[in-house]
Amino acid sequence: MAKEEQQVFSTMIESHLSSMYSTALRMTHNPQDAEDLVQETLFKAYRALGQFKEGTNFRAWIFRILVNTFITAYRKAIKQPQKVSYDDMEEFFLYKRLDNTTSLQEMSKEDFLDNFFEDDIKNALESLPYHFRLVVLLCDVEGFSYNEIANIINAPLGTIMSRLHRGRKLLQRQLWNYAKTRGYVTDDAKQ
Amino acid sequence: MTPNSKKRYDCGEIEDLYQQYIDNELTDEQKKLFEEHLEYCLPCDKKISFELKLKEYIQSKAANIPVSETPKFDIIKIINRPS
Repeated sequence: MAKEEQQVFSTMIESHLSSMYSTALRMTHNPQDAEDLVQETLFKAYRALGQFKEGTNFRAWIFRILVNTFITAYRKAIKQPQKVSYDDMEEFFLYKRLDNTTSLQEMSKEDFLDNFFEDDIKNALESLPYHFRLVVLLCDVEGFSYNEIANIINAPLGTIMSRLHRGRKLLQRQLWNYAKTRGYVTDDAKQ
Repeated sequence: MTPNSKKRYDCGEIEDLYQQYIDNELTDEQKKLFEEHLEYCLPCDKKISFELKLKEYIQSKAANIPVSETPKFDIIKIINRPS
């Protein structure tokens, strides 16, 4: 019976392992820590399987355990929200910077994105303070809805939307800084 | 149409709602009004197209972990380990 149950669990979780590991890696910044986090999540999830309600969202359920496991393990490191400056953080930050950059007038803004290396995007994401990084990952990368994210991280909908909004702005600012550092833009945008 | 609904959104409302639009979180009616605005407002349309592309771009780059870098999880072994 136990073996059968284990096999069912294994089948249920198999297709989510890759995205669980990807999220764990972006949260911990380290492959070994990410692997440990996923293993711990699997261990806990199997023991909590009786609490999963058939017909509800298994993927959101497993991510909730992943996030809680992360928070428990990294409680000290994430206790104090980092002070973040939102000066000059208007809406459409990156779009407006690109719009005002003379050296990019001939290039579409969408094409400009292809300048970035994959690592630029990953580093920009990983540079976000924990609270923002988590919601951006869950929404933009994993495709969860606001309600699912609210359930996963156990926070009100308004908090999710606000963190997502700020996280994306910070991400855009980071990408803009990379673009300048790497020389993708050769003149600074007019303010 | 609900009693509070409006016939058209202005650019300020587009700015307030664009995050929910790109995340597909607007109601059908809000989405319809949003897209109607984009049809006649090129500056907003260009901004929203860029935000949509950026989201898609981040998703494609960040989710992509090479198979060689993804560890093999022996699920049965992991769940049977001692506490």
